[in-house]
Amino acid sequence: KASATAPSKRKEKEPFEINFASPLDPGLAEMIYTPALSNSAISLPKTQWKSKTRNLLPDDKHFNSRQLLRLFLKPKARMGSRRLVFGTRRQITTDEVPENEMDEA
Amino acid sequence: TQICSIFGGAQRTTTGHRTLVVSLRKIQESCCFEPIKPGKKGRDEFDEDDFNVEIVRCVIRLMGVKKSEGVGDRIVRFLGSFLRHASEKDAALVPESEIDETGSFPETASTRLTSHILSILLQFLTSKEKTVRYRSTQLVAHIINSLDSIDDEYYHLLKMGLLKRIRDKEPMIRVQAVLSLGRLAGNEDDGDQENEDSDEDDVSGLLEKLLDVLQNDPSADVRRSLLLNLPLTPSTLPFLLERARDLDSATRKALYSRLLPALGDFRHLSLSMREKLLRWGLRDRDENVRKATARLFRERWIEDCAGARQNGEAGAVTEAASPSIDGLLELLERIDVVNSGVEEGIASVAMQDFWDGRPDYQEAVSFNDPFWNHLSPESAFMARSFNDYCRQQTNDEYETLVEEKMPEVTKVAIFLQRYVNNLVESLRRNSERYEGDEEDDTVEQEFIVEQLLHIAKTLDYSDEVGRRKMFALLRETLATVELPDEITKLVVDVLRDVCGAEAAGEREFCGVVLEAVAEVHDAIAVEEPTVDNKDESFHSARSEISNTTPTKAKGPQNIAGNNEEEDEAKAIREIMINMKCLHIAQCMLQNVEGNLQQNVHLVTMLNNLVVPAVRSHEAPIRERGLLCLGLCCLLDKTLAEENLTLFLHCFKNGHDTLQVTAIHILADILTSHPSLLTVKDAEDADAAALQKSIFKLFSKGMKAEHKPDVQSAATTALCKLMLISVIQDEDLFKQAIICYFEPATKENASVRQALSYFLPVYCHSRRENMERMAKVAGGVIHTLINMAEELDEGEDIVGIGMVGNMLVDWTDARKLVVQDGATVSWDEAGKKEVKAVNGDIHLDLAEDLLERAMNHGCSKEDKKAFIAMLGKLYVTANSGAEKLRNTTELVVGAIDNKIVTDAASRNALNKLHVALSKAMGEAGKSKKGAED
Repeated sequence: KASATAPSKRKEKEPFEINFASPLDPGLAEMIYTPALSNSAISLPKTQWKSKTRNLLPDDKHFNSRQLLRLFLKPKARMGSRRLVFGTRRQITTDEVPENEMDEA
Repeated sequence: TQICSIFGGAQRTTTGHRTLVVSLRKIQESCCFEPIKPGKKGRDEFDEDDFNVEIVRCVIRLMGVKKSEGVGDRIVRFLGSFLRHASEKDAALVPESEIDETGSFPETASTRLTSHILSILLQFLTSKEKTVRYRSTQLVAHIINSLDSIDDEYYHLLKMGLLKRIRDKEPMIRVQAVLSLGRLAGNEDDGDQENEDSDEDDVSGLLEKLLDVLQNDPSADVRRSLLLNLPLTPSTLPFLLERARDLDSATRKALYSRLLPALGDFRHLSLSMREKLLRWGLRDRDENVRKATARLFRERWIEDCAGARQNGEAGAVTEAASPSIDGLLELLERIDVVNSGVEEGIASVAMQDFWDGRPDYQEAVSFNDPFWNHLSPESAFMARSFNDYCRQQTNDEYETLVEEKMPEVTKVAIFLQRYVNNLVESLRRNSERYEGDEEDDTVEQEFIVEQLLHIAKTLDYSDEVGRRKMFALLRETLATVELPDEITKLVVDVLRDVCGAEAAGEREFCGVVLEAVAEVHDAIAVEEPTVDNKDESFHSARSEISNTTPTKAKGPQNIAGNNEEEDEAKAIREIMINMKCLHIAQCMLQNVEGNLQQNVHLVTMLNNLVVPAVRSHEAPIRERGLLCLGLCCLLDKTLAEENLTLFLHCFKNGHDTLQVTAIHILADILTSHPSLLTVKDAEDADAAALQKSIFKLFSKGMKAEHKPDVQSAATTALCKLMLISVIQDEDLFKQAIICYFEPATKENASVRQALSYFLPVYCHSRRENMERMAKVAGGVIHTLINMAEELDEGEDIVGIGMVGNMLVDWTDARKLVVQDGATVSWDEAGKKEVKAVNGDIHLDLAEDLLERAMNHGCSKEDKKAFIAMLGKLYVTANSGAEKLRNTTELVVGAIDNKIVTDAASRNALNKLHVALSKAMGEAGKSKKGAED
């Protein structure tokens, strides 16, 4: 891991600086002073001006494993004898995944 | 010269900015105010214009600096600080009298400099280069936000320029534009209205545009910047608060953690807004938003009520005021706890977080006798939420704490009794009142009783004295005809706990509840002096009575002037009482788990109460009866078997609500008795027919686009049954997947959200499920592409590429939660060895997709979608050798026949080919190794 970060750090050590004293590089000057050919070239396409959803989330129904694991009529009773253990199962495996990665490393 | 070196210094680090600002100011002074500082050598040759030109020269250098360079940002900040410093100094030099005269800030050296810079920047705003546009917009934003005022002329030009930039292609530029305009809008709003002429339209125009951006800009950064920089006014507030549901979680969080705390007293918000904000925030999908909301509630809103900020706005309130229980009660009142504190209401969540973050309040609350004697809805809710909170903690300390603070069972029973009595009295007064009399408002009383029952649900009933007291009270309460449904439900729930968990406890529970049902039912007889000879038995077939009442009531006894109105009233009362009985029975059944036939109480209830109700001609009674029958079926497989067709019939012929009920009942029955759905062999025609009609029900239900509730009930039920492998039908599964993607379900959030939870869980949980997905994937793509072609205008469908990616993910064997035993083993050192996961599923998928693609009838779009998926598959040596060979043959065939011509598709095919060859090579090697 250490070897991976070292070179990237070295790169950062040559920081970019503006030379305020030097005359303006003609390339840079051109870049700075060229106006856009048309307004539309630098603008957001009109189709994106409006968002159908106003960028809002739909109503959350808060669907979760609990709803899948209980009966409709008897919300307190967990599903019959063949009880499902998704919630816990999933947790176990998410715990395991990083472990595997560490083993490999 | 010197100026250059100052800028050179300023770009390196921000720490020296202070001194550099001061020295730059000195240079400026020496250039602009020569007469004040005469005699300084070497500077006299420069005048103000030279100074300004030099500064602008530096500004121009800045324009080409990429956004990622910190140097640029530092220069921007430096310029901002300098201009502010210089303007302040200049302003201080101007005699006060002059300010009074002009009413606005006079021109100074610094304002001239600012104008000069701005005039240069203006032309850069429309540069071709995004970097230049970015830096110029950024600098403008910074200058505007650093200064108090800006020359009028430039002000308007800037506004024009910036308004164009809020539509810039680049989000980062829009962010800066919005930062400037937000400030301008705020300024104008502040007080310029009186003296400004035509600006008023202008301001509202500007605000309107910004609000439009707030709602519509595709970039979350832009929306978030606006959210935090728009002026807070009554007109902008609704738009700002709406962002609580923004698509972007960071924006939602910003609203809760920054905007709302800055807003001041939350009590200025409307009641419904408070409730919405809490509900949205505390139930947000993102944990950070939930946390921010919880903090807002327990740190800011409470202080608004507890009165910590009375001594003016002394900045941020860092230390909280000492706990004020009255403040907490007010807070609860302000969130309308009587409504938000009901089941599934948001107040419970809010209070759990409150207790969690406020140990000082945990410490401070006390529940002594006077407290219980004078309960308000708020204080009852506070006690209940505290009790819930402590009992949910796993820590023993909390158990001690709650034991210390809460009264024992006997006392709770006594208090409960008092409030129940009050409530029942009020209810009776209401029902006996004459027309025109004022009705007692019982909502608050009901709420208090509910809270006490919630507390009672958590108590320990090992103390026999307390237990008996509670038992007697509940038993008596339950038999009250007037008791509201929610309270009935809670009473039954508590009663179940009081009776003890074992089978004997359950029998006692059923017995005592049914006694209460009988008592409630007897209320009909009391009301009805015309004793029907059938009516003396324990809740006899009341439904028959209720049907026939209109005719029978006209019998001989009623000659004494009984008119139709009275009959009608009586009939209604009967229906109500029957409904009440059924409701009690339903609550009871929800708490029963044992076998129905072994419980004599239940058998009696089924025959005397439920069956007649199901046959009733009164629809509400019949429907409640069906629900009870459904619940009974869960306890008895034979009964369930006998009644399946009845529930199917309800779905076929019922109205929406009944259809939903039928789906729920059937799903629960099949969950409880999965074997009802098995077809033993081909001979078993009855079972096959039954299975067919049940599958048909789900299929029909999922298609019920115009009945969103039915559609979502059917979808959710099917998801459940598939997850527990009771239903394994491929066609239904395929239909469910299509249901997820098709535009018709777009509006039905509960269908979509259920499926988006279900599909990955289903596929990743078992290999068989994943194989099923691989089988239907090709067909799903085909159907969706056809669907996309037939779309009406304005409808849109999820991109087929995205669908393909999801299908690939759902069939990726590496994502299986439980891997086969073969893939995980333990080596000699006991270390876990993970072999490559078996890749057969994706090979199956590949074969299917290739065969489809090579079929002559395959459309171009289909082919493209199929082949795009092929490039993303997991191919490994750990797969069936034959499968590897077959797939390779197919790929080679596809490449040789040039079934596709575009580059992307060819690449995908080649990629798969290469992966297959590699896998085959590896497989061959390891096989050899094994043979040697």
